[in-house]
Amino acid sequence: MKKNVEVLIIGAGLSGLMAAAKAVESGKKVLLVAKGMGAIGLSSGCIDLWGYSLDNPEHECHNPIAEISNMVKDNHDHPYALVEDVLEESISFFRRICADYNNPYLDNDGGNWLLPTALGTIRPTYLAPASMAVSDLHNIKRFLVIGFEELKDFYPDVLVDNLKNTGELHVDCQLNTLLVSTGGEELSTNNLAHLLEKPEVINKVINQIKPHITTDMVLLFPPVLGEGWDSAVVNNISQRLGCPVYEVANIPPALPGQRLQQMLLHHIKKQGVELIIGCTVTGALIKDKNCIEVLAKGSGKEITINAKNVILATGSFLGGGLSSKPSKVWESIFHLPVEKPEGKWSTREFLSMEGQPFNKIGIKVDQSLRPVGKDMKTLIDNLFVTGANLSGCNYPLEKCGNGVALATGYKAGKLVGEVGQ
Amino acid sequence: MLTDKAQVVVIGGGATGTGILRDLALRGISGVLIEQGDLAHGTSSRFHGLLHSGARYAVKDKAASKECIEENLILRRIAANCVELTGGVFIQLAEDDPEYTKQWISSCEEAGIDCEEADIQELIKSSPVLSPNITRAFKVPDCAVDGFRILWGNVNSARRYGAKVLTYHQLSAIHQVGGKITGVEVTNQLTGEKKSIECQMIINAAGAWAGEVATMAGLEVNVIKDKGTLVAYNHRLTNMIVNRLRLPGDGDIFVPHGTITIFGTTSLTVDDPTCTKPGHGEVLDLIKLGKQMVPDLEDYRLIRAFAGVRPLYQEGNSSGGRSVTRNFALLDHRLRDGLTGMISIVGGKFTTFRLMAEKTVDMAASQMGINVPCRTAEEPLITPVENALLERGKKVFGIPGAKKAADRLGDSFAQVVELAEKEPEKQRIFCECEVVSLAEINYAAQNGDSFTLGDIRRKTRMGMGTCQGTFCSYRTLGALRGYKQFAGNHRMYLTKFLQKRWKGMRPVLWGQQLREAQLSTGIYSSLFAMERMK
Repeated sequence: MKKNVEVLIIGAGLSGLMAAAKAVESGKKVLLVAKGMGAIGLSSGCIDLWGYSLDNPEHECHNPIAEISNMVKDNHDHPYALVEDVLEESISFFRRICADYNNPYLDNDGGNWLLPTALGTIRPTYLAPASMAVSDLHNIKRFLVIGFEELKDFYPDVLVDNLKNTGELHVDCQLNTLLVSTGGEELSTNNLAHLLEKPEVINKVINQIKPHITTDMVLLFPPVLGEGWDSAVVNNISQRLGCPVYEVANIPPALPGQRLQQMLLHHIKKQGVELIIGCTVTGALIKDKNCIEVLAKGSGKEITINAKNVILATGSFLGGGLSSKPSKVWESIFHLPVEKPEGKWSTREFLSMEGQPFNKIGIKVDQSLRPVGKDMKTLIDNLFVTGANLSGCNYPLEKCGNGVALATGYKAGKLVGEVGQ
Repeated sequence: MLTDKAQVVVIGGGATGTGILRDLALRGISGVLIEQGDLAHGTSSRFHGLLHSGARYAVKDKAASKECIEENLILRRIAANCVELTGGVFIQLAEDDPEYTKQWISSCEEAGIDCEEADIQELIKSSPVLSPNITRAFKVPDCAVDGFRILWGNVNSARRYGAKVLTYHQLSAIHQVGGKITGVEVTNQLTGEKKSIECQMIINAAGAWAGEVATMAGLEVNVIKDKGTLVAYNHRLTNMIVNRLRLPGDGDIFVPHGTITIFGTTSLTVDDPTCTKPGHGEVLDLIKLGKQMVPDLEDYRLIRAFAGVRPLYQEGNSSGGRSVTRNFALLDHRLRDGLTGMISIVGGKFTTFRLMAEKTVDMAASQMGINVPCRTAEEPLITPVENALLERGKKVFGIPGAKKAADRLGDSFAQVVELAEKEPEKQRIFCECEVVSLAEINYAAQNGDSFTLGDIRRKTRMGMGTCQGTFCSYRTLGALRGYKQFAGNHRMYLTKFLQKRWKGMRPVLWGQQLREAQLSTGIYSSLFAMERMK
């Protein structure tokens, strides 16, 4: 099979989806191919831009956008240094799409939200879906944390024990827990979310919670309240119980990331992007510093794709974009050179304030996101690299993964959209 | 101070120490075992899990090789659920010396090891990962053995006869009066509480720590500490144990265990018994050697690396390595040093632990004037799970879950099945990689010997599989909150658990395992911000 397109995007994570959404706006013919569903579905579902203060990395920062511009003044190798021009524009673009689908992503007056997690830790984030945006954490007087007997991945008591230790709650805050049941056997997160779309199940749950509701109460749930991205289940529970209802971030699988993924996939399809999921790109033909052909395999068929521009959004090691052997690392499709740490790839402590150096491994690019060699010369003129594939950012530690994906994906989409116009 | 009394105090909760405790108990001699960590804290959890047929030592060490085959046959009989009858094969490659092979064949025959030449084409057909450069191959009765299960089997058997076990207790003093042992003082590592135990006899079975224990009694026992590094692959590379047919060296043993394969080892003399950090360089050296036997070794997914310290002993010798005997030595300190009531058992290997225990207790008993013969080779260590019970288990845990749990639990399987039948929510599987149910985790948590998530991990194998605890450790924390030893400091428990797994993952951080590590930092750092958890 042969395909001829103007823009080819490889990867369906946040940066690939953003690139597709932006590129298709220009009216160009866009094809997105992906091996799997992208790491966005594994993420919190929030958009982290920058979590902590540069001067005091133990403390959350209050103005992430300002902190990012400060940071890139010193750190030219950080992917944010490549997208300063479009950072705010990309966020507005993303929020417009979300609002169009009745899935508003809320900001906290330009600052970070401080949101509780299932472990009872606090994570700072810039944009949260309405179902997760717990406002004014410090002033909440009563929490009721609700778990499901059928779900083995969420423990209200663990959340409460640890949340009390954070020092972020009101001194008089009371925390209670409640286990409810949908009346069945063990359920996976997704099956539970599916079940909770049914009115009779939600009624059953509400009836169990109702006797425990008191004034000023805020309810926290595991991220399972419905499959849809429109917060219908959250709003339903909230209205009927008369108190705010939120979901907290939890280990995958979790619904908020999956909803965002589904919403963006729906959006780009509606905009005319062609999508092939389950399709592995196996190689590419490069001539005169241009990628002229991409070879892919999907459901037993070989596909040859001719594209004027290619966006590489294949997501680091986790996504399969980068491959490695002892002391060797390479980009999986084009064999682009990869920047690796001078010393060890990992640190002794699994979790520390240094972060793991392997998370900084990635591809070095020019200001237009095109891969460069050691001499900083552009290697392939029509190839653009985005998201976790980029070198120089320690996203788990800095809490900037989805922010970098969003802004770099947007920029790549914008650049390819402008070509020839 | 708390006080206790026993005829014998055994120092060290490894294969030898627990074997001795059981042997004492079966002869009606009262014993208390002291272990500074969990059982198998030392070398007994840090080896390849190979129950030797003796073939490996046939040329170099005939006596040891004969003991191996005898003990191999005994353990198959008394501990069937701890032994996987994989069989083993020795392969001679084109570059190996055919003269050695001839010598090896006759040595095996002399030792009584069943050794049969195998058809090379058939061997490669059934184990396609093996090198096409095999020139000769021989089948031997090697088996895979689960060290941890054997140890708990020893302890449970000993307890039925009244023996006591104190894990997380460190020896803090040895008491002697007029050249005679009178007792020990131990410190609870978790509470700091001290306890004094009155006894007639101390048996030092502290393995790599035996020198330190001897020093506390004013004696000198020079244990050579020889570190061996191993790696675990995420596949069963072959169905048989594969050995290289040449003088024993580094990187020449592959042992399949369930769904994984352990490959090792290296040999490096170290100063400190706690030196169990597997090095990245050692792992790369191992793989380079292993590629001679399994050419595509680099392409298979590694789960983790680990290292153990072999406690070797040769009177008057302090240099380590492959030349030191793998045989054991029984030191009678009454004759050797004039201290009555103390025996040290040093050197040796896992396969012969029962025999070492028998010889040790023979000596101890005769010194105490007790004349009861050893019964450890006759009485089964663990009663195999009956079919009817296994069927009940399948109903609550599913077929693979029940089989794995029955093998892991042996005698205790019945209690876990009952728990799951009574409380159906405990049937759920918490560790998907190793198919461990909540009922089994609960049982491990409440049996009185579990103080950390690591203790539960070792008992159940939870967190030992592909994801290395990324998912199940968090769940377990929630499910165990009701037990007082796990309530409270979740950050500490979780950090310790993840850190232990990290120690093993770090030396093999490439390919799929680097991907796994990225997911793991994604969850615990990106998502939970646990690096800043208070």
